[in-house]
Amino acid sequence: MNLVFKALSDPTRRRVLQLLRRRPMSAGELSAHFDVSKPTMSAHFAVLQTAGLIEAEKNGRTILYRLKMSVLEDALLAFTHTLGWNWKPKSRDSVSRMAANSRHKLRPAKEEV
Amino acid sequence: MPTKSISNYLAAGLLFLAAALVATGWYLEPRRIVFWTVAMLFIACLAVILVLISRRSTDNAAGLRRGIVFAGVILVIPLGLKLAATFSPIAHSGVSQRAMMIIIGAFLVATGNALPKTLTPLSALRCDPVRAQAFQRFAGWTWVLAGLALALAWLLLPLRIADSATFVVLPGAILIIVTQLARLRRSRPDAATGNGSI
Repeated sequence: MNLVFKALSDPTRRRVLQLLRRRPMSAGELSAHFDVSKPTMSAHFAVLQTAGLIEAEKNGRTILYRLKMSVLEDALLAFTHTLGWNWKPKSRDSVSRMAANSRHKLRPAKEEV
Repeated sequence: MPTKSISNYLAAGLLFLAAALVATGWYLEPRRIVFWTVAMLFIACLAVILVLISRRSTDNAAGLRRGIVFAGVILVIPLGLKLAATFSPIAHSGVSQRAMMIIIGAFLVATGNALPKTLTPLSALRCDPVRAQAFQRFAGWTWVLAGLALALAWLLLPLRIADSATFVVLPGAILIIVTQLARLRRSRPDAATGNGSI
């Protein structure tokens, strides 16, 4: 449950869930709605997946994200959205840490290309 | 495997307790022989199933184990309350009925809550995935609200009104879900471009 609270605490992730309420979307489609880098978005997707709120499914060459929220989690999302709740951990934000890790992993691949 | 052993012991314990309560009830009210016999046979069937699946660790076995635990709870609480009502001058006969209906309401809430989480792979879907997702969420919410209404009705309202409320809430929820399901089945899979709205 802690993972769910953590996932719902971020406004970007809440917006991702609201977009996925409409229909399953690819990572590119979702990223187009935000002014953030791709590694940061990937980190947000990872947090949501770890919390079990979304599911990724390979569809040809793209990965489609689908909503996987229980009724209680859905109600929590609406509640946190209404309150505009923003939880900030004392330690370094895990998303920025994960985004930095993905950037680090991406660098050698770019150099090879 | 500790979860498997715990649910095995829990299910076995609940079935044993239910059998003991049925035996006590039979002793106290021997006129209701048919009721007690059916209850005993039901418990015996559950015990046989539990023995058969006790060593298996598949998802199906886990689901059956959870079902047996739930059946045990449904049997033990009303039977226990009925027995308590027999000996206690304060308790009245409606308590066991109320308890059972509240448990059923809680069960509806639990199943409805989990409903939107059970996803079918997109490739296996035979209808529009957008509509399928909307239906699952709608059905989940309907089932949860119906369960809550049922539990609250049996918790707060007089027995007659709660009884009538059950006949409104449950068939109403089922009708709404079946209507939505019929609409979903009419949608075509090729409409699944992802651009349509619900």
